[in-house]
Amino acid sequence: MSELIAENLSKSYGTVKALTKVNLTVRPGEFLVVMGPSGCGKTTLLLTILGVLTPDEGHIYIDGDKIDDLTIRERNMGYAPQDFGLFPHLSTYENVAFGLRVKGLGRSEVEAGVEAMLSLVGLDGLETRRPSELSGGQKQRVALARALAIDPYLLLLDEPLSNVDEATKVEVKVNMKEAIKRTGTTTVCVMHDPEDSLELGDRIAVMHSGRIIQLATPKDLIENPEGALVQKLLHRSFRS
Amino acid sequence: MLAKNKQKHETFAGRGGDKFSIGLRIMAGAFTLFMLVSLFYLYIAVGSSWSLVANALLDSRILGALWVSVSAAFIVGALAIIVAIPTAYVLTYSQFKGKSLVETLLIEFPQTFPPATVGLVYLLMLGPGSPINIAYTYPAVIIAKLYVSAPFAVSFTLRRFREIHKTGLDVIAESLGGKTRHILFWVLIPLSTIDLLGGFSLTWARAMGEVAATLIFAGAIPWRTEIFPAVVYLSSQSEPQLALAASLIAAALSIVALLLFKSIVGERR
Repeated sequence: MSELIAENLSKSYGTVKALTKVNLTVRPGEFLVVMGPSGCGKTTLLLTILGVLTPDEGHIYIDGDKIDDLTIRERNMGYAPQDFGLFPHLSTYENVAFGLRVKGLGRSEVEAGVEAMLSLVGLDGLETRRPSELSGGQKQRVALARALAIDPYLLLLDEPLSNVDEATKVEVKVNMKEAIKRTGTTTVCVMHDPEDSLELGDRIAVMHSGRIIQLATPKDLIENPEGALVQKLLHRSFRS
Repeated sequence: MLAKNKQKHETFAGRGGDKFSIGLRIMAGAFTLFMLVSLFYLYIAVGSSWSLVANALLDSRILGALWVSVSAAFIVGALAIIVAIPTAYVLTYSQFKGKSLVETLLIEFPQTFPPATVGLVYLLMLGPGSPINIAYTYPAVIIAKLYVSAPFAVSFTLRRFREIHKTGLDVIAESLGGKTRHILFWVLIPLSTIDLLGGFSLTWARAMGEVAATLIFAGAIPWRTEIFPAVVYLSSQSEPQLALAASLIAAALSIVALLLFKSIVGERR
């Protein structure tokens, strides 16, 4: 269980400010949802934490250690993008085994690790299937299992429900939260849907125009929204 | 009414049946005819002299040219893939000043640079009078063909690596702890197999057809450096049957290579 601190993060694309002095603390083992409409900067925040983007200013700390200069690989963060990013040429087993194999683990350790993760997300029996043979919900679970398999300091999820069909969404949501909680991994999850955010997040950071305008538990957010904008965002079903 | 119009539209092969469209089709048809006639006239020209040409096919010079051309094209294709992978990797992931210029010099420029000049450059650089003299040898054939043909493999590989980079699969591999070698051998290359094969086929076909650079730098020594197009060029006046036989084989091999390439690339599409 690790703690993430983002301190005064700013990032611009030319003249467009994607992040403006974002301060955020994610507690160990917490499931934090970053919620906001399309273009508010939430994916930029996620990719900055992951190390894909370099912030113009500000720092990122994991358990008190500054990680600004670490590469994506060195940060040891599990990442599942919006389209799940499964390797299309690899089976479910091989996708989940990827991170364990690059660490140089032996065959039996890899096997045990993959089995544990597939069982955690409820995908036993689908080991040999390729991503093209899986449903949206199954792909989401493979991506989650793969990201968790490396025992990351932090789990970063980008719109994990956007490519899951409505019929299985509830089940996927419950399984995802449960699996993550069982591993105790600190999670930052980017979402646009207020309903999903309120249901999943231990706390929710509401983002708008590159700033976090409120950070609170779902209960506090509903009972005490800070300002009309938060209220509006909570009651609007925005699509990214 | 609208649906009926749409149907009518579709019967005219997708887009209109007006005079302008018919004009476009006539022009396209004329060009296609021009290309096909040029290609297949070779087989018509053989006509009654099939037996003479058939004999020529067994001529030692033809067999020598077959060996040099085909083996050199395979070596060039393999070398091109070996150099294309690191080159495409660097051009995809490294940011440096003049990158666009380097890319042009590696890919577009060799395809437009006169091959005869390429041959001359190598003759001056690696020919008689230079510290390393490999002119008129088999390695000279490889070098000349590699410069002219390898850009096809580089271009194919680079395009695919960039496509994969856009999907972010490399970032995911890195987030999972993947080092450069893992990203290259476990993600980029397996996802580029079709493109590497396509690049190999086109490089092979181009190497088969290349003549000017090879002729100037490597000469035309039977069984050592003489290639098909050189046989055609050098014997077209004195031994037309021999030239025709060499042309027939070269054209057939090119067609096979390109059909193979189309089927490989078509498989992915």
